[in-house]
Formats: sequence, C-alpha cells, structure tokens
Amino acid sequence: MHLAGQFVRRILQGVVVVLITTFLIFSILRIVPGDPVRLIVGGMAPDNLVEEIAQKMGLRDPIPVQFGRYLSQVVQGDLGNSYQRPKNGMMGQGGDFNANMDVEMAEVSDLILERLPYTLQLAGLALLISLIISFPLGISAGLKPKGFMSKIAFFISSIFVSIPNFWLGIVLALFITIKLGLLPSIGYQNFAYTILPAIVLAVETCPFIIRTISVSFAEISQEYFIKSGKVRGLTRNGVIYRHTLRNASIPLLNLLGIQLSTLLGGVIVVEYIFDYPGLGQLTIYAVLQRDFPLIQGIAMVTSALYVGLNIAVDLITYSIDPRLES
Amino acid sequence: MKLEDSSLSKKIFYDSWQNNFFKFSVIFFLFICLFAFIYPEISAIKAEKMNIKSKFLPPIFFEGFSWTHILGTDQLGRDMLMRCLVGLRFSLIIGFASVFIMLLFGCLVGIISGFKSSWVDVIIMRITDAQLSIPMVILAISILGVSRPNLASIILVLALSGWPLYARVSRSMALIERDKEYVRGARILGANDFRIIFFLVIPIILPPIAFVSVLDIARMMIFEAILGFLGLGVQPPTPTFGNIIADARKYLINAWWIATMPGIFLVITLVTLNFIGSTLEKSKNKIFGEGI
Repeated sequence: MHLAGQFVRRILQGVVVVLITTFLIFSILRIVPGDPVRLIVGGMAPDNLVEEIAQKMGLRDPIPVQFGRYLSQVVQGDLGNSYQRPKNGMMGQGGDFNANMDVEMAEVSDLILERLPYTLQLAGLALLISLIISFPLGISAGLKPKGFMSKIAFFISSIFVSIPNFWLGIVLALFITIKLGLLPSIGYQNFAYTILPAIVLAVETCPFIIRTISVSFAEISQEYFIKSGKVRGLTRNGVIYRHTLRNASIPLLNLLGIQLSTLLGGVIVVEYIFDYPGLGQLTIYAVLQRDFPLIQGIAMVTSALYVGLNIAVDLITYSIDPRLES
Repeated sequence: MKLEDSSLSKKIFYDSWQNNFFKFSVIFFLFICLFAFIYPEISAIKAEKMNIKSKFLPPIFFEGFSWTHILGTDQLGRDMLMRCLVGLRFSLIIGFASVFIMLLFGCLVGIISGFKSSWVDVIIMRITDAQLSIPMVILAISILGVSRPNLASIILVLALSGWPLYARVSRSMALIERDKEYVRGARILGANDFRIIFFLVIPIILPPIAFVSVLDIARMMIFEAILGFLGLGVQPPTPTFGNIIADARKYLINAWWIATMPGIFLVITLVTLNFIGSTLEKSKNKIFGEGI
C-alpha cells in the first residue's frame, strides 16, 4: 500500500517535471530571436506577409496563451505538425515561399516514432559495448582499490573521458572506414552502420560506468554479509556473483537513470557526425530550422522518457533491495 | 604536523600533492597554459597568416614536412600549431569562466534553496529536475543557433546548462549544515540568514565542490569544442578546436592531420586536467567522505 502511494506521488511529480521542461523549451524558443515564419516562407517574402502568417499561426499571442493552446492539443494526443517537413518526406525548398504552404506537413508524433527505433538500437548497442568493457575493469578495480587493475581502470577512464566524441567519430571514420575499409560509417543501410557510432558513444559512457561499478564494489565488499560469505564456505567467485553483483547493480541502475540525458546528448552529436537517421539528427535539424512543434515534441518525449526511466529504476531497485523502500 | 589545523582546502591539496603523477600533471598543465597564452604572441608566425604556397604541409617526420610548421599547415597554408594554440586559449578561457559562473550561481541558489525549505525550495528543485531531464546540447543549440555566438554568450550558455547539478549538490550539503550546532549557535547570537550563509556556510561548502569542479572544466572544454564543431562556437576566422575540425572534414582523405592534430592537442590537455581533477576528488573523498 505504501509503495503504491509513493508510486502515484512519483508519477504526479514526473508529470510536473515534464510540464516544466516543455514550458522552459517552449518559452526559450519564443524568447530568443529567430523567427520560424521567416524560415517557412523564405527569405524573399515581404515582411507584412511574414507578419500575417505569424498571426494566423498564433505565434504573436502571449506565451502563456500559446502554451495553453499547445497543452490542450497535447492532451488530445496531438503533438502538432512540423513546420518544415512535409508528409511525403521531401524537404521544402527555401526561397520559394509558396512551396510549403499547400503541402500537408508531417505529424510530429509520426516523425518521432519513425526515428525512435534507430536511436534505441544505437543506444542499446552502445550500452552493451560499454558494459562489456566496464564490467571486468570496474569489478577488478573495486575489489582491489590499490591493485594494478585499478590503475589501468583509472587511466582508461581518464583518457576516455577526455576524448571529444565528434573527433573520435571522425578519426574512426578515417581509419576504420577509409583506410582499412572494415566498417561503413556514413548514413544507414543495415546494422553494420550502427557499430561505429555505438563505439563512439560507448567510449563516452564507459568512464561513468567503470567509476560507478568500482566504487560500489569497493563499498559493498566491506560489508559484513560479504565478508561472512567466506566463513560460510562460499568461493570468492560465488560471493561476487551471488551477493556483491546484485547489490552493486543498484548504483549502476541509478546512474543509467540520471545519465540518460547525457547519453542522449551524446547520441545527438554522434548521429549528426555519422548522418545516422535517428532522433538526435532530427533534433539538430529541427533546432537549426526553428521547427517549434518538432522541438517541443522531442523535448517532451525525452523528458517523459527520463522521468519514466527513473521511476522504473526506483521500482527495480526496490525489488532488488527491499531495504531501500523506506 | 601543522596540517591538522590548516584549512580543508589546504589538506585536500596537500594530500593530492603526495602523488607524483599529480605533481607532474599540474606542472605540465601550467606549462601548456603558459605556452598557449604566450607563444602565439611572441612567435613570428601568426595563426591567421595564410600562405597558399605552403598549404597542406604534413607534420614533422612525414614525407615533405617543413621545420617551420611542426604540426603542418592547413588548406590555406596556416600553421596548425598556432591555430591549435589559439584554439586552446579560447577553450581554456571558456572552460574556466563558465565553470566559475556555474559554480557560484549554482551553489548560491542551492544553498538558499536548502536554507529556505519552503515553496522556493520546491520550485528551484523542480526546475533543476526539468533541466536535467533534457540534454544540454538541445538547450545550447536552441539559444546559440540564432544569433552570431560570441565569447560572452557561449560562456553564459554553458554556465546556464551546468548550474542545476551544483544547485542540487550544494542544497543537500546545506541541508546537513543547517541543523548543525554552529549554525544554531550563530542564530541564537543574532546572526541573520544572510550572514550565516555568506560567512559560515559558504566557506565550508564551497571548497570541496570547487575541487570536484576541475573535472567540469574539462567537460565544458569538450562541450565548447562540440559547439564549435556544430558552427555555434567562436566564429571563424578565429580558430577554435571545433571549427578547425569541422572545416578539416573536407580534406580528411588527403590531409588527415588537419582534423586529427587539434584533437590530439585537446585530448592531451584534457587528460592532464582530468587527472588533476580526479586526484583532487580522491583526496577530497578521503578527507571529506563520499557524497558529492
């Protein structure tokens, strides 16, 4: 009963957070200079036409009024239509201001749903690679904080955290794709195109994961119930797999919840470099084209993912370690 | 040993100083900084100087190199070493300034929020939640994407995107300090909130956070490079790591060094900085306990 009440409270809080996030992005887009209408109608259109269309679209109303209108739309399950992307996938031409006016624009929810699987595939593979690298390093560093492996882990994370993702992407594309011809890198045709971007993302996330694993392993191996494992006749590996790993996974899950937005930030840049057709690439172009409904939609979905993931992480950690429930 | 009586910051620094790698990193980092700020001023070669005759020269020890251009030249015959050094200079300025602002602003907001547990606290914490839930790249490009970015606007945007974490950490520390004896004592003696926060609490909370923030300087320098790469950093012809690498993509196959050299330069600097940061953090954890 207690858990259910807390769950409801968390969800309500989450809704508030998503609302604030959307409102922040909504207002920032409208406060900073840069008129989307100018980009829709093109540079050649006269100023009074820009003004007229902006009024028709409601972009000259006070921000709270616009936000209220947007929310009432969203509640009905409609995230709006893109300003720039027509339904048939062809991008409008700039300059010719009649070009996009009579074409039906793509729905934001469709655009997002279409791209989301690619991004999930990329993020999933990246996470898998970084876990494969981080687990052995993190565990051995955590069990012997003064040992050789601990130093190796420290050096590797110091170097990985210092490599800018976009630069690594270019260097990998240069050596692996151009010089060696091993893996493709630009665009997307099949699964092989996911591997290089995923490696770049994995390098970015590894340091956080190594650190979390080693810290939690170091802490937990000091606990009495771990030390008593040896007395109960369990082997060293038995203790690690059965007890330590289970408890050490809690901080790791929390990290994934908290770092989701950092991971997504990395995804945005990496997708842009590799021209990977995911949510991140969509975001960059949406922001540069001032495609308000699309940016708002992406921000809302992202923050809902963040909130949802964090609630899920809490529920999972409660089931792993019931002590945390209080 | 007098160390027992000295301030927390001195203890943390002294503890780190025992580590030889740390000593080396600090000295090396100071050397890089001095080099970046002084050498372009006194050298005869200028970063903006174009020389079409000596374009696409490779770095030393590759076929056809020249001793005057140690790291080679770019598509317009500009010296890569100078361009990297000037880029590093901007990177350092932006990294330090933005972290300084976000540290002060974030901690101030966080401490006030912790002391005034009321609706102010609730609002501030929900705003930090909201900001942490969206990638800061989105925030930064939606602000910088429209105007011609300059040094000040980049610093402010980076600071804006990083303050929530500082606010939360300092809030949780302020909540602990708030109920301690010395704060209650000061209050009984008649000190108001302002005096308690600025003269008693900040000197205790700020140093440990400031030491950890060295790691954030490196993070912000990477972020500045990303912005530059997207065309939203300091604008060309001023060289920054981001815009050098972005331009160099076109020449990747024939002139690989234009894109790779600035990156290596940046990575070396950042490794040093991260090394300093993590060692300080370890010492802080040893003296202060975990918690940040």
